[in-house]
Formats: sequence, C-alpha cells, structure tokens
Amino acid sequence: MRHRLRAMLLASLALAALVRAAEPAKEKPVINPPPAAKDWADLARLPDWSGVWNPKITDQDAQAKTNMPPWTPKAAALVAHQLAEEKAGRPPPLFVNCLPEAMPGWMLVTHNAMEILFTPGRVTLLGESDGNRLRRIYTDGRPHPDDPDPTFHGHSIGHWEGDTLVVDTVGIRPQAFIAISEAAGVPNNGDMRVIERMHLAGKDILHVDLEVIAPKVLTQPWKTTRIFFRQRARKFDIVEGVCLEGYHVEKTDKDGNEIFVYTPHNVGGNRIAPE
Amino acid sequence: MKPYLKGIIPWCASLGLAAAADPVAAHHSTTMFDHARSVKIAGVVKEVHWTNPHVAIFVLGTVKDGDEPTMWLMEMTSPGNLVRAGGWSRTAVKPGDKVTVDFSPLRDGKKGGALKKITLVATGQFYTADIRAQERANLE
Repeated sequence: MRHRLRAMLLASLALAALVRAAEPAKEKPVINPPPAAKDWADLARLPDWSGVWNPKITDQDAQAKTNMPPWTPKAAALVAHQLAEEKAGRPPPLFVNCLPEAMPGWMLVTHNAMEILFTPGRVTLLGESDGNRLRRIYTDGRPHPDDPDPTFHGHSIGHWEGDTLVVDTVGIRPQAFIAISEAAGVPNNGDMRVIERMHLAGKDILHVDLEVIAPKVLTQPWKTTRIFFRQRARKFDIVEGVCLEGYHVEKTDKDGNEIFVYTPHNVGGNRIAPE
Repeated sequence: MKPYLKGIIPWCASLGLAAAADPVAAHHSTTMFDHARSVKIAGVVKEVHWTNPHVAIFVLGTVKDGDEPTMWLMEMTSPGNLVRAGGWSRTAVKPGDKVTVDFSPLRDGKKGGALKKITLVATGQFYTADIRAQERANLE
C-alpha cells in the first residue's frame, strides 16, 4: 500500500514537472529602457499640461453634498457620523501625522497645487504637500505587477487615447481613504481599483474623471469629475511642501547650530492656542 | 523674562504631553473655528511660522483697548496657497509689526483662530487668507 502511494506521488510530481516545462518561460518585461531620440520627440505631440494646477475647492465642497458615493450601509453610517461631528465643530481628522492623502483622496479633496511632468514612458504628478506626494504613471505599455506591494498611491499604468490620459491604478493601501472632504471619508479596506481619464476641458482647465471601484465599501463603482485650473501667466511656481516642517520650530542650539525642535499640536493638526 | 513669554511657557509645557498622544492632521476641516463669528484684535506680531502645511502667526494683543495684552495664535493655509490666494510672502508680516487681525475664533474658547485678514498699522497694507480666493477669475 505504502509503495503504491509513493509511486502515485512520484508519478504526479513527474506530470507536474512536465506541465511546467511545456509552459513558455514567463519572462519579466523589460522596464525603463533607455529612451531614444524618437521617444523624446514624441512628447512634443502630447497636450500642454505644464504649469501649476490648483484644485477647484468650491466644486469639491459642492460635490460633498451632491455626489455622495454609493456607500455600503456600514460606510454610510460612518460618513453620517463624521459629517455630524464636523457640523458640530469637532471635525474628525482623516489625514493624520502627515501621512499622504493617498489615492484617490489626493485627487478628490486636496487643497494643494500639483504639477504634471511628461518624460518618455511616464507621466509624473507632483503635489505641493506631504514632502513625498507623487504619482508615477507608467505609459510604456507595461502591465501591473502580479502582486504589487500596497502603497499610498498604488501602481498606475496609463495610455493616451487622443489627448486623454487613461490611467488604471491598483495596489493601493487598504487604509487609503475614499474621502468626500477633509473631514469625511472611509478607508477603502482593500481590492480597490481607480480608473481615471485626465483631459483638458478648456484652455486652462483640467478634468480628472474618476471611477472608483471599491467592493469593500461601495455597493457599485462611483464616478466623479474633479476640476483643476491653472493661472497661465505663471506668476506662481509650485513650492516645496514638507508636511512635518510645521510641527517644528526653528531654534539655534548652544553650539550655534540651526535646528528644528518639535512643537506641540492639537488633534486638529494646529499649533496649540494659548488658554 | 519678557511678559509674553510668561504666558507661552506654561501652556507649552502643560499641553505638550497631552498633544503628543494625539494624532495630528495636516489636511483638515476647519470647523473647530466658528466661521459665523469674527473677532478683531490689535497688537504686535511676536512670531511668524512660515511653514508647511500651515502658516501660523503669534500676536500679543487685545480685543479691547486697556485690556492686558495676551498671546493669540492665528492659523492659516500653506505658504504656497497664501502666495497664490492672498499675495503673501515670507516677509509680508514680520515680528515687531503692529497689526490688527480679524479672525474666526476657536470654538473651545482658547486664544486662537483662523486668520481672515491682517492689517499692518503702519501702512494700511493688508493680507487675507481665503484658500478659495485662488479660483477668482483673472487672478494672474
């Protein structure tokens, strides 16, 4: 009996090895190849998204009231509680300890500017906050990794459909909020996918059409368009925005060195006001 | 010791420990300020913290003439937003400047608020801090 079992086991192992050998070797795609002159020249055909883009905050305010995501009952209850707390003058903090607003929160509720860079095979979004608020969108044709490490901004691949950049993002941390304001939002809890269509809707207006698919907290995909605008005269550059800077004060130590010293903050993220 | 420091040190010390346990938020709602109310103080700028994510100004001032001056904390948006929305710069308001400040006060009664307008007494020059003002047409 034991011999027969062993023979069966060996046979099945041999079969498995044969099946594996028959599969074509799965090669890792080449990423980040050196750009050729043509790759740089091709960038000239893309639309002009240069400049400093600011979020239209008044539209965010309006959509917080008119375009509620299709929350599950549990998520809806949390949002209702958050909105009541905010109305009562006790706004719940979502984005704590200078963690990024993440995806899709950055696109949905940011109050800070961003800029967009085109380089061969890639579009990069740089935000004026958090010190490390950036999105790398790969446009070189690569797929998502099979099992990406979850990150705040996820893994984004994009392609151009005319002058519209279509972006698919997965691998976002489950803690990242689907936020309708700076005071109301629900962690996506995992398995979220965000599809975006970014395009100019006017000379100096950029629309980001988002579809958020988050089966753990939404009963169906949620669609929204977020508006960004630029002041074309370019009197304003984007500036550095290290979030933790404001949690420190400048001091000169006993050796004459210029240093940062932690300064206390309240739960709202503001410095502590005098009694 | 300068008189205003007598005020600062105890509240820094007493609140430091409590604050350390709390999460802090960089991008938050502002309903802890009562936007339906406006308070005005007159005084002297003591500190300007031109930092991300929020700029803050400490003013030693009074609500009414003749009151004992006390320290007030004024919170604002980020440096980048202040430049774009209110024409600020790092040196627009400096320690030692005599100012009046209009602000939405904290609901909890502490001496602080969300700055709406700060006016330099010497020149009448003023700065506002409405983040949504960036959406004005033809701002450039």
